[in-house]
Amino acid sequence: MSLARFVERLLQLIPVLLGVSVIVFAMITLTPGDPVQIMIGDQIVTPEQEAAMRRDLGLDRPIHERFFAFLGNAVQGDFGQSFYHRRPVIDVIKERLPATIELSLVALIIALVTAIPLGVLAAIKRNSFLDRLATVGSLLGVSLPGFWFGILLIMLFAVHLQILPVSGRIGYASEIEPITHLLLIDTLLRGRVDAFFDALSHIIMPAITLGLPMTAILMRVTRTSMLEVMRQDYITFAEAKGLSRQKVLFRHALKNALIPTVSVAAIETGSLLGGNMIVETVFGWPGLGRLVVESIFVRNYPLVQAAVLFYAVTYVMLNFFADILYTILNPRVKL
Amino acid sequence: MKRTSRLLAASLLAVGVTAPAASAQELVVGFTQDANTLDPGNHRNRETETIIRNMFDGILTRDSSMNILPELAESYTQVSPTVYDFEIREGVTFHDGSVMTAEDVRFTLHRLTAEGAIGDGQTSPRQSLLGPVSGVEVVDGNTVRVTLSEPWPLLPAMLPFQEIVSQAFVESVGADGMATSVNGTGPFKLVDWRRGDSIIMERFDDYYGGAPGIEPVGKACVERVIFKVIPESASRVAALLAGDVHIINDLPPFAIEQVENSETAKVMTVNGTRSFFIAMNVEGEIFDDIRVRQAAAHAIDKDLIIDRILGGNAAAISGILSPDAFGKNMDLPDYAYDPEKARALLAEAGYPDGVDITMDTTGAYKDTAEAVASLLTKAGFNTKVAVGESALLTEKWRTEGGPKTGDMYFTSWGNGSLDPQGIFVPTHMTAARGNSAGYANPEIDRLLDAASTEVDREKRAEMYREAEAIANADVPYVYLWVPQDIYGVSTRLTGWSPSPDSRINLHDACLN
Repeated sequence: MSLARFVERLLQLIPVLLGVSVIVFAMITLTPGDPVQIMIGDQIVTPEQEAAMRRDLGLDRPIHERFFAFLGNAVQGDFGQSFYHRRPVIDVIKERLPATIELSLVALIIALVTAIPLGVLAAIKRNSFLDRLATVGSLLGVSLPGFWFGILLIMLFAVHLQILPVSGRIGYASEIEPITHLLLIDTLLRGRVDAFFDALSHIIMPAITLGLPMTAILMRVTRTSMLEVMRQDYITFAEAKGLSRQKVLFRHALKNALIPTVSVAAIETGSLLGGNMIVETVFGWPGLGRLVVESIFVRNYPLVQAAVLFYAVTYVMLNFFADILYTILNPRVKL
Repeated sequence: MKRTSRLLAASLLAVGVTAPAASAQELVVGFTQDANTLDPGNHRNRETETIIRNMFDGILTRDSSMNILPELAESYTQVSPTVYDFEIREGVTFHDGSVMTAEDVRFTLHRLTAEGAIGDGQTSPRQSLLGPVSGVEVVDGNTVRVTLSEPWPLLPAMLPFQEIVSQAFVESVGADGMATSVNGTGPFKLVDWRRGDSIIMERFDDYYGGAPGIEPVGKACVERVIFKVIPESASRVAALLAGDVHIINDLPPFAIEQVENSETAKVMTVNGTRSFFIAMNVEGEIFDDIRVRQAAAHAIDKDLIIDRILGGNAAAISGILSPDAFGKNMDLPDYAYDPEKARALLAEAGYPDGVDITMDTTGAYKDTAEAVASLLTKAGFNTKVAVGESALLTEKWRTEGGPKTGDMYFTSWGNGSLDPQGIFVPTHMTAARGNSAGYANPEIDRLLDAASTEVDREKRAEMYREAEAIANADVPYVYLWVPQDIYGVSTRLTGWSPSPDSRINLHDACLN
């Protein structure tokens, strides 16, 4: 892809983000519910006190003024103060983001390393017991609700077997000076193997829960595309040439069969962000998803706006990335 | 495949071996929500307060029976209806070793109440919790004088919710530093705040001992305290059963049996401070007739619902106040469950064949509201439950005197101070913020006004008792119950009991 094309794609981001900003701002401000009323709860306040709270949160200004102020500040990277944390939104998000990134990455890795071999195996041994098992398993994986599957895992591994902790990111005893803020990496970089296993024991259940639907989808994509590739003439030709089964499978078939898998994986990574909200709540995972859920309930406008913008950027970038990857893997396609 | 599964088993084993076990001196609380900030003056959130109150002490505090006692004050006196004097305790130190003085107390109250005093030109969101406080000054060394712009007997009941900060510390770290660091006088000091995950505290060994009126006095029993954030209730219960945590709040009623049956945990309950009731639109066509309202009150079998739906964890009420509240009228007549009488009253009011009504409620109360609706339907009110978003329903029902639509609203009102002012005024005063029924009775308004400035405690209590009797007779609401707060605790825990104001005070808690 040429540089000009790349820049053009980047520029296309601008109208998308502007559109997302308008929609998010409109949705959250037009949703009934007033942050000041929620904050006051059942207490008695005088109208002056209520007006002062509204003024402090900047909610006394008309809606269009608030929108342009939000837009103007957002361009400069200032998303305002979180109503509840009373600190800059960007600081609050920064604290919670690494946990979400780490969880998503581990979920992605789990999905890739289980889905691809299983998909290939199911395709090779088509209609066998293993294939049917994998198909039923993937159907279950897509349809099991995350919160239910998560609690099932907790009941089994944390309550009955007591080999994994119920929630959190790492034990209290493990104090790790952050480098990348990804605990699995930081613990290793600091040479703390005990803390690494501690962090691993915390992330394993949420990552499996989060990665399950993705595993299921990727497995089916891999299986289907593998079956399709296996029917191609060049595979028949390769087999006719007398190449070993293994060579045919891994050098000729898999390489091409993985093209759709990789691009679906890139796009599906975006949907991991959505799944995060539920999984983080079930496992008390200190990530961004849970923060957003909590913020929506209390109408913490600045935080929700910033977080949704972040999700939008990530999603668009992942799609963009998937496109690029596709052209690299499949040179016949041009963007 | 075989190799993979062996690898998985091996790594699980390795993980199991390294899974951290809590030490005997480490008390972990599985809590619904993280603190929003560590600045006691810059939030308006009950959960935040529950957590940080273990690191900060207040001028006053409460014992487990909700009596108000001096904590950082040695004593206090009401000099006049609008002036209170607090004698501040000497020899108390902050976590950084500096001595707490009356100046710090003055500074804290000023920071909470003065315009623009919380930092960055902002006003504390807690300002209105201190009502009409208009001036704070230090008189003769260690006495702090609080002046009110009008009499407000609620002041002592609200002071346990305000924590004392160090003036020097606030001035050195600023608003940003206050949000993330702690220098209090409480029994625990901050070790680490892992945002969204946990707040780790350790015992403050130079603690002055706490309120002398609450035994035992001295430093805290456990060495470390951790508030671990677990928002999902099923996961919280699992953490308790797995022994990961020792106290959990908000135990769901469906899990009571499971916890009771375990050998490692038990259930503890305490009357909460939230009253449940059904507002009837007294301005509406149907419920403007008192006979219809009486019929509704007779139609509901509160005991049945408490027993079957709430697992027995609630106290029935016949007036707005909790049985534990100050000024509660214990002799209110009850509208006994009597569907026949309800039908007769409805017929008398012109609805011999019953009447179709809609009861609004939020998702959280849906199950209970459905049960109430089925009882109402049996007695002639053909009730449809409409679940709405709480913000929408607030706009629909809490019109502050404006016109309203709708028949019934199944809702609640919280009153952490347990002083009638905090719940009676907003729900029963004409055009008040929480007066969902649209109720207006000049006699009630007069009594509530007079009680809010009455200094004589007994006279004040009598006024509330009278007001409660009038409201009971007018039936603007069907008063239902005060649910209990349900906690799950480890059987290893001693010295701790839940508190009606939802504080989790860990000073006296020990682990066996």
